[in-house]
Amino acid sequence: MSQLGKIADSIDAYNRHVAAEVARARTDARFAAELRARWAEARAAVEWTASPTGTPLPRLALPDTDEPGAIAQFLLGQGLPGQFPYATAAYREMYLDKESGAGEEPMRLFAGLGLAEDTNARFKYLNRHQKSLRLSTAFDGPTLYGLDSDHEGLLGKVGEGGVAIDTVEDMLRLYDGFDLTRKDASVSMTMNAPAPVILAMFIAAAKRRFGAGCVPNLRGTIQADMLKEVQAQNEVIFPVDASLRFLCDMIEWCVGHMPRWYPVSISGYHIAEAGATPVQQAAFTLSNGFTYAGLLRERGADVNKFGPRLSFFLDCGLDVEYLVLGRVCRRIWAVGMRDVFGADAKAQILKLHTQTSGRSLIAAEFQNNLTRTAVELMLAYMNYTNSCHSNSADEPFTTPTEKYALLASHGQSILLEESGVFKHTMNMFGGAPGLLALERQVEKAVLDVFREMDTLGGVIAAMEQRYQRSKIQEAGHAYEKQVYANQRPIIGLNKYISHEPIPQVPLARTSPRKQRLQVERLRAFKKKHARQAPAALRRLENVARARGNVFAELVHTVEVCSLGQITACLAGVVGKFRPMV
Amino acid sequence: MASPRPAAPLRLLTAVPICDGHDSAVTTINLELARHGLEVIYLGYHQAASAIVRAAIQEDAHAVGLSSYNGGHLVFFKEVVDQLRARGSGDIPVFGGGGGTITPADERVMKRQGTDKIYFAGTPLDAMMAEIKARYARDPKPNPKFTGDRALARAISLAEAAGRRPGARNPRPAARPRRPGRGFVIGVGGPGGAGKSTLIDELTSRFLRARPAGRIALLANDPSHPASGGAILGDRVSAIYAQDDRVFFRSLATRGSLTGLSAAAPAAIDILRDSGEFDLILVESVGVGQESDPFNVFHGTRLVDAVLFVLPPHYGGRIQLQKIALLNGADFVALNKCDHPMAHTAKAEIQARLDQNHRGQVLHATTAARHFDPGVDALFAALARQAGLEPAPGGEPACQLRVAD
Repeated sequence: MSQLGKIADSIDAYNRHVAAEVARARTDARFAAELRARWAEARAAVEWTASPTGTPLPRLALPDTDEPGAIAQFLLGQGLPGQFPYATAAYREMYLDKESGAGEEPMRLFAGLGLAEDTNARFKYLNRHQKSLRLSTAFDGPTLYGLDSDHEGLLGKVGEGGVAIDTVEDMLRLYDGFDLTRKDASVSMTMNAPAPVILAMFIAAAKRRFGAGCVPNLRGTIQADMLKEVQAQNEVIFPVDASLRFLCDMIEWCVGHMPRWYPVSISGYHIAEAGATPVQQAAFTLSNGFTYAGLLRERGADVNKFGPRLSFFLDCGLDVEYLVLGRVCRRIWAVGMRDVFGADAKAQILKLHTQTSGRSLIAAEFQNNLTRTAVELMLAYMNYTNSCHSNSADEPFTTPTEKYALLASHGQSILLEESGVFKHTMNMFGGAPGLLALERQVEKAVLDVFREMDTLGGVIAAMEQRYQRSKIQEAGHAYEKQVYANQRPIIGLNKYISHEPIPQVPLARTSPRKQRLQVERLRAFKKKHARQAPAALRRLENVARARGNVFAELVHTVEVCSLGQITACLAGVVGKFRPMV
Repeated sequence: MASPRPAAPLRLLTAVPICDGHDSAVTTINLELARHGLEVIYLGYHQAASAIVRAAIQEDAHAVGLSSYNGGHLVFFKEVVDQLRARGSGDIPVFGGGGGTITPADERVMKRQGTDKIYFAGTPLDAMMAEIKARYARDPKPNPKFTGDRALARAISLAEAAGRRPGARNPRPAARPRRPGRGFVIGVGGPGGAGKSTLIDELTSRFLRARPAGRIALLANDPSHPASGGAILGDRVSAIYAQDDRVFFRSLATRGSLTGLSAAAPAAIDILRDSGEFDLILVESVGVGQESDPFNVFHGTRLVDAVLFVLPPHYGGRIQLQKIALLNGADFVALNKCDHPMAHTAKAEIQARLDQNHRGQVLHATTAARHFDPGVDALFAALARQAGLEPAPGGEPACQLRVAD
């Protein structure tokens, strides 16, 4: 049995344990008394507040029961917010309108366009109204594939769909003017195959601005999820084993040197966008997470050290399963980490970033996308996501323009600040009969997928048999068929069509002049470092050949080498990825 | 919708542009095209314009379909059109789609620049398929203006079309003087899932390094779907070393031939050999069964100069091995996927099976999925010796490639 089978079994075992405890609560008077005492304590600890219209409200809503079985069912099956198995919420208080204890501001605004200075300007625009500093970065295609902007055949792609980064100097321009060492700063980067190189550039740029001592203070997330790249998103440069090795090098280095950094964001978003059902998204994402935990443990890393540095990223669409997806994932992760990996409390918590579904947005009558995103935001926050990004309504046809990016961020403010849904009371919805029914079904379906992959030999073996890709493609195909057969209503596309032409919206596109400027900058950098670069690359090559920690060396290499020079050097050592259909 | 059926199925090349990994739309379209009886040669995502043009020419595609979701389409589509024209293949139309990322205003610009058609989000799939069929269907005809790879590719298309009419003579390209010692043909067979395509790609990389000026041709046979007659020819996706002008790669759908090769394969082999262009020609059969003889080793006219038989470790045990006829006829046998736990036992069992033949067949243990595999180095060296390919000046000796990791 692979690790995945053991994890599925551990969830079943935990569910049996909960059922047994519920039964015991109903028969064992001493246990019942104990539970009642705990319950009374939990209730007594709840503070009270009032809505703006004067309705008194508890800060935490708990099931209205004194029956010991029901108490056990809630405490063990769902858990108080911030307590095992974390189905209710990862932390005790989230989103509340309190001066203290409200915790992290959840809104993230993804931006990336043109050259570094263009994205920098967009960051400044988006952060005008934010209390804390949130810089969520999208990169252009060449950067995502580890290519320099002067690579043959790229013109038209540079600065398109994200920001073009070739060198540490671009990285300096990207976050210029922002104090990245602030306690409430958080930088996130949607960057995968070349993540070690880009993070090394980020560190090098930060050192130049804030001094070498700043590294432990840097806070943020880099996606770096290579398993989902191979399964769905297709931005892969090196063979799978080498990609995972470079990733683990980076994670280990970050765990040791950057205690506030999340070096991997285990992502279902791209899996869902590529076509997966919500259940598949949850199953593949969680199983990828457990695979990383297994790989790191095999390398001798301590689960209680790296566990808290793993984070997750899910898509939230309009399918009903999204009502509970985050809750189910937190619970499976917590039980699996505790019972199979022996992780402590901090390492059991699945920290979740959510993004509303890009695939659910369409070009026809695109203003409807505002409503779609609003509904998805509601679902995401009902799952107590730790952070969230809302898509712009104009995304089906362009990199978000300023106007729609702002509307998307205001959507979150309207939900969290203007509406009273989340700001007074924790757990407004948990325990609803519909949610519980869904949770049971979704969890069971996820475990079924785990077991199927287990029979194939686990996640990586299944991947080699292209299991995940086949399932995702199958589901994507089924979705398209449902849309075209009118079995899945999409307003404005196959239902209530108004046949209005798509309005002319200003498109954010990068001009050829800017693209040439990026190439000129890169060439100037290469010229400036032409003498040091070969030696730096040789050192990197030697470390990679000797299977040393490549990331520790990259931190130096990026001072004098460009992204493309570095990926080419590493590909010379480990070869190139051979794609799967 | 009844439309007159062309003599041969439409062959479309589909791909996703460079720096774009969005392949969910294109995979759906590929499935639909195949379901509607078309042959789809899928090149994959993150493909440079030059790679798309090379493939379109070598495959003699009826049209090129591009699925672009990452922007830059105004530049990219034009680049593909321009390069096709520059290489004498401006007759191959380029169409595509990009959901909402390609706007109607973009479409007007792209059409002016030579793109044939853009499909917008919401186009019903059936309507799209019917239109593609009507728009691009045409019988391949000889075209004296074609040169180089396109001329070879068209000759193979004509052979494919002729294959549908029993008795029709295989057309040949104008005879060229045959250079001695060139055009050695190796048939590569083995059960489905043995890793033949990956092994061929790794052999290709060895060839390119050993013969810095040489050319290699690959003929990849893949089954047609028995019901629709369509096919997804996806071998190019994993053939990373075929992205080189020194490699001629042609996909052939079997179109109902049950021999393990397309009915046009014999003619295609002749065309490639007679062209004198290639030092080495590798012909990959579809996955073969116990009695298969795709290369006519046991009866008929032998189609190839040598046969490489590839087995995975999970062939089903000793008794199953006894039944595989081609193990008797193969000149080279490779046990691939040797990183598998069953490989050790498999090696001993297969060697014992080969010893019964008393032909001195050597078993090569390979792990093609791993780059720089020494087993593949040794296999290539043996094939190269048999093919009379001495390491060319400047080429790396095949068996001394640098081994990493």
